[in-house]
Amino acid sequence: MIENTNAAGLIRRALLEAPSLGEGLRVTLLLAMAGQAVTVVTPIVLQMILDGEILDPAGVDMNGVLRMSAVALAAVVVGVVVGRISLLRLVRTSSTGLSDLRIKTFDHIMRQTVLHVQSDRRGNLLSRVTSDITTLQEFMEWGGVGMIIASSQVLLATAVMMFYEWRLALIALVGVLIYLFMMRWFQTILARNYDAVREEVGASLGVLSESITAIPIVRAYGTEESTKAKVAEALEQRFQVEYKTARFGNILFSTAEIFAGVLTAVLVVAGVLIGARLGMSAGTLVAFLLLTNLLIEPLQILVETLEFAQSAASGLRRVVEVLDGEIEVRDPDDAEPLRPGGLSASFEHVSYSYTGGEAVLTDITVDIPVGSRVAVVGETGSGKTTFAKLLVRLMDPDSGTIRIGGVPARKIRLAELRERVAFVPQEGFLFDDTIANNVRYGAIDADDAEIWTAFHELGLGEWVQGLPDGLQTQAGERGGNLSAGERQLVALVRAWIGSPDLLVLDEATSAVDPALDVALRHAIDKLTEGRTSVTIAHRLSTAQSADEVLVFDQGHLVERGQHRDLVVCDGVYAALYADWAAGTKSV
Amino acid sequence: MSEPKLTPWAVLRDGSRLIGRFIKMHPLAFAIAVAGSSLYAGSIILASSVIGWVTENVLVPVLDEGEEPHLLLAAALVIVGVAIAKAFGIVVRRTGAAYLSGATRRDIRNRLLDHQLGLKMSWFNRQAIGDLLAVADADTDQGTGVLGPLPYATGVSLLLIGTVVLITAIDPWLGVGAVIGLAVAVAVDVHGSWLTFGMWEDVQAERGKVSSIAHETFDGALTVKALGREPYVTEKFGMASDVLRDRLIEVQSTWTKYQVIMRALPQVLIILLLIVGAARGVSAGDLVTVTYLLTLLAFPIQLIGFVLWDLAGSLAGWRRVQEVLDADDFVSWGDLPASPDSGAVPVMGQTVGFTYEAEPVLSDLDLDLKAGTTLAVVGPTASGKSTLGLLLARLWDPDSGSIRLAGRDLRQFARSELPKEVAYVSQTAFLFDATVRENVTLDANYSDEEVATALRLAHADQFVSELPDGFYTELGERGTTLSGGQRQRLALARALIRKPRLLILDDATSAVDPSVEAEILRSLKSAALPSTIVVVAYRPSSIRLADEVVYIDKKRILAHGIHDELIETEPGYARLVQAYEEEARRLQEAS
Repeated sequence: MIENTNAAGLIRRALLEAPSLGEGLRVTLLLAMAGQAVTVVTPIVLQMILDGEILDPAGVDMNGVLRMSAVALAAVVVGVVVGRISLLRLVRTSSTGLSDLRIKTFDHIMRQTVLHVQSDRRGNLLSRVTSDITTLQEFMEWGGVGMIIASSQVLLATAVMMFYEWRLALIALVGVLIYLFMMRWFQTILARNYDAVREEVGASLGVLSESITAIPIVRAYGTEESTKAKVAEALEQRFQVEYKTARFGNILFSTAEIFAGVLTAVLVVAGVLIGARLGMSAGTLVAFLLLTNLLIEPLQILVETLEFAQSAASGLRRVVEVLDGEIEVRDPDDAEPLRPGGLSASFEHVSYSYTGGEAVLTDITVDIPVGSRVAVVGETGSGKTTFAKLLVRLMDPDSGTIRIGGVPARKIRLAELRERVAFVPQEGFLFDDTIANNVRYGAIDADDAEIWTAFHELGLGEWVQGLPDGLQTQAGERGGNLSAGERQLVALVRAWIGSPDLLVLDEATSAVDPALDVALRHAIDKLTEGRTSVTIAHRLSTAQSADEVLVFDQGHLVERGQHRDLVVCDGVYAALYADWAAGTKSV
Repeated sequence: MSEPKLTPWAVLRDGSRLIGRFIKMHPLAFAIAVAGSSLYAGSIILASSVIGWVTENVLVPVLDEGEEPHLLLAAALVIVGVAIAKAFGIVVRRTGAAYLSGATRRDIRNRLLDHQLGLKMSWFNRQAIGDLLAVADADTDQGTGVLGPLPYATGVSLLLIGTVVLITAIDPWLGVGAVIGLAVAVAVDVHGSWLTFGMWEDVQAERGKVSSIAHETFDGALTVKALGREPYVTEKFGMASDVLRDRLIEVQSTWTKYQVIMRALPQVLIILLLIVGAARGVSAGDLVTVTYLLTLLAFPIQLIGFVLWDLAGSLAGWRRVQEVLDADDFVSWGDLPASPDSGAVPVMGQTVGFTYEAEPVLSDLDLDLKAGTTLAVVGPTASGKSTLGLLLARLWDPDSGSIRLAGRDLRQFARSELPKEVAYVSQTAFLFDATVRENVTLDANYSDEEVATALRLAHADQFVSELPDGFYTELGERGTTLSGGQRQRLALARALIRKPRLLILDDATSAVDPSVEAEILRSLKSAALPSTIVVVAYRPSSIRLADEVVYIDKKRILAHGIHDELIETEPGYARLVQAYEEEARRLQEAS
């Protein structure tokens, strides 16, 4: 965590990341202030007309009234134009700056490993580039504007009051300050209640969304009534807390309204008593009362925007924290090129542990020669997947060295590494696009013919032809139009089309049916002839055909060798294989 | 989804219908809120008159004419009194409004759940869960959004009328001026809101695009990074973000334009009315009343535009809520109660056909299972074998033919009755954010002993006993702390505790080790749980334990018989079931 807590520091940091955010800010503020002069025009013109004409014992001179009104109207028009210019400037800079900040944050997150190492944090990180930035945006454009307008109004009204009669102005100011503190105080009292409300809102939504998600279970088990009762109770509880808080807040804030009335009364009394002695005019006192109103309304806005500002600041803090996060896997400064042709791989005393400290892989040393087919087996949690991710440099080890084609992985340009080494994760993730475009993630320039070829090479041509729109079939959100097995097929082709020199598969066919799985295996073996392939396998038929099997157990490489040798040893592999053989035995 | 273009009149018409509907749900709260709002409006008008009166009777006589301040105390008391009335009005209005919107939201959410629970699974399957959750959460909030400012807006309308009446009473020409001025202000305000609302919808759409790109990319981060496509997705995201930026600038420029105009209009009106007032010889006190009133009106008048905004927003949100509430694809229930008997039931399916989105999934399927049989359903991916399980549990209904449980058509059962005889377990084990025990019992009454027995049968007893609080351990959201196999075994225990007469397992033990799976199946067949069992699976070891096998491919049953026979007679079946075995043999021979 970065103790970057003060607002100025945060803002400086944000400006550093997105300089467009602060362009011409000073001029904008000055213009906003000038534009706000509009609102103090009316008390002044009223005072002038009252004292100069209406209450003039000599009677009303309409020329005088018109002259004063003309000046006032001109001031209003100027204020409108200037105000408009300042707001436009503000809107432009904030939208541009925040868009830049959003893109920068997205880019930074994508460069980190957190998305695939700590996948439970994805939701949080998503908020960084969506709701946090939106909060900032809304603050800048509604709250920020309100704040600038309100504080300009307060300053201007105060200045005019001081000009009229400083003693009365002081009374008004003291009153307004008390009012401000009252509002702030109420806000803090309420903040605690709002926490309770937020908690209830979260809890009720949790229960509600769980129940909706579980509708198939509810139906299958006939628990409709108890589900409804549970949800109704949570919603009722939320409503009660919300309502109680609203009632309490309303009463608190209405006292502020009474205070404003009292302040007006005090000003009338004081104005009359002091004014009589100082020779203050009735028009001036009336202007004072109007100006007091002009003070109170923006204060309400200010207090509300303070809350807004706080949530915007914590949003910004979270964004800055992300930007401060280290990018673990970086492009090397002194890159070494890979030789063309097949790629070997090696681990030398490699260890890796998660940030929590738990070791996932301990002291792994292994050589994978060019052109060999290696199978990696082990129980869930044995470290197989971590091995694969380190091998393709999705993460870097804590200690030890990994080499690809004899070059330390940290010295290979990432773009080159990705081009030569393909990794297919188990999940078979597809984007909401056509099958063809999904495959193009593996080779941006591939045309439809090349994509067809790739499917045919893996023996999947018939499958694609069977799809409603062939290559143009929409995969749907997260590939939802296809089954889990079918998604894996596309993911496999996507990796294959880049014709990698080192292919790493992490249970990439776990969801396809046995007959197809075996057929795919044959196709891959044939195609990778002469290239290197590493397969994390939970189906041990893969291990049987491999040149070498690596057996992992609790983060250690415990056995290695060929299937026929390992299966006769009384070890981890033999046990795994026995279970597998029992499961596949049909007679 | 393309939505009909809104027109202001349509918004007003549909909006008032919607508001009427909400008010009907809680009329008293609305009436109270409006009463408070009227009091608030009245006290503002009164406050202005009081200030005018004070000017005329206290300020001018004392300050300009040198009289003694006789009425000063009275003036102060009246000012405070009116402020108290205004404060009271605000409390009543806001409290009523809070009740109105809070209670309405609560009721709508309850209704949404109730409604969805009655709909067919085929409806549910067509929806994205995310959308349904959004309907129950954000859309319901947005749909009722207009209820918050509604009482205030009613008050502001009263305030406008009161203002015109008061000013006209002072001087008819001032009244005419006020009517014209306020009408212009309201018109400008409404027009501005209308324009910005349309643009704001676009902004929200763009915001949605930005967020879904981020969501998708983060979910697929492993794939993106493995393929080295970070620059490409960042560019894609950047383009969407920049479009959003441009839309925002557009809407905000329009909005600020109207904002400055709306701020200036009351000022202009005041100045013009001062001219008219001076020309008409209106008294100082009355001029102060007019000015003071219009100053106080400057802020609330902008609310009229906001309400139109909220109304249009509410309609947009409500449309999505309504879509769910309008779905009428209800399951029709019979009135048959579950049989009090226990023990396995015979199952009979006749000419069962099922179509999904115009694609036939199963057709002309006959099935006759004697009580207590264990049946394995085998077939390649997407052959329709999962559908058979869903039909047997009546999560879906066949489009043709019928399925009978001991002679009773599944559709004859009353709501919630069939699950007393049939239990269904799917491949994806859904766990609730609750304890192990609650996940097994689902809040029904079972003793600890029964829970323990069910866990033992599902081979879940051991890992549960190793959890920190045994079966009182809280599992957390969606049971993320457990492995796939453990989750599946809890889901299985949930079915077993009910002692179903028909048990359907749809690949429900796929993440469990083969040897454990075989043990589970063996113990299920034991006398402890006499039920008819249907297992969808493709592990040969599991299939071998079944009494009978149906082989499904190309949407129909290709064969029904005993495993050993089918291996001989059905080459497709043999290929599927023996794929790994064959491969192992081939490799052995090769080496």
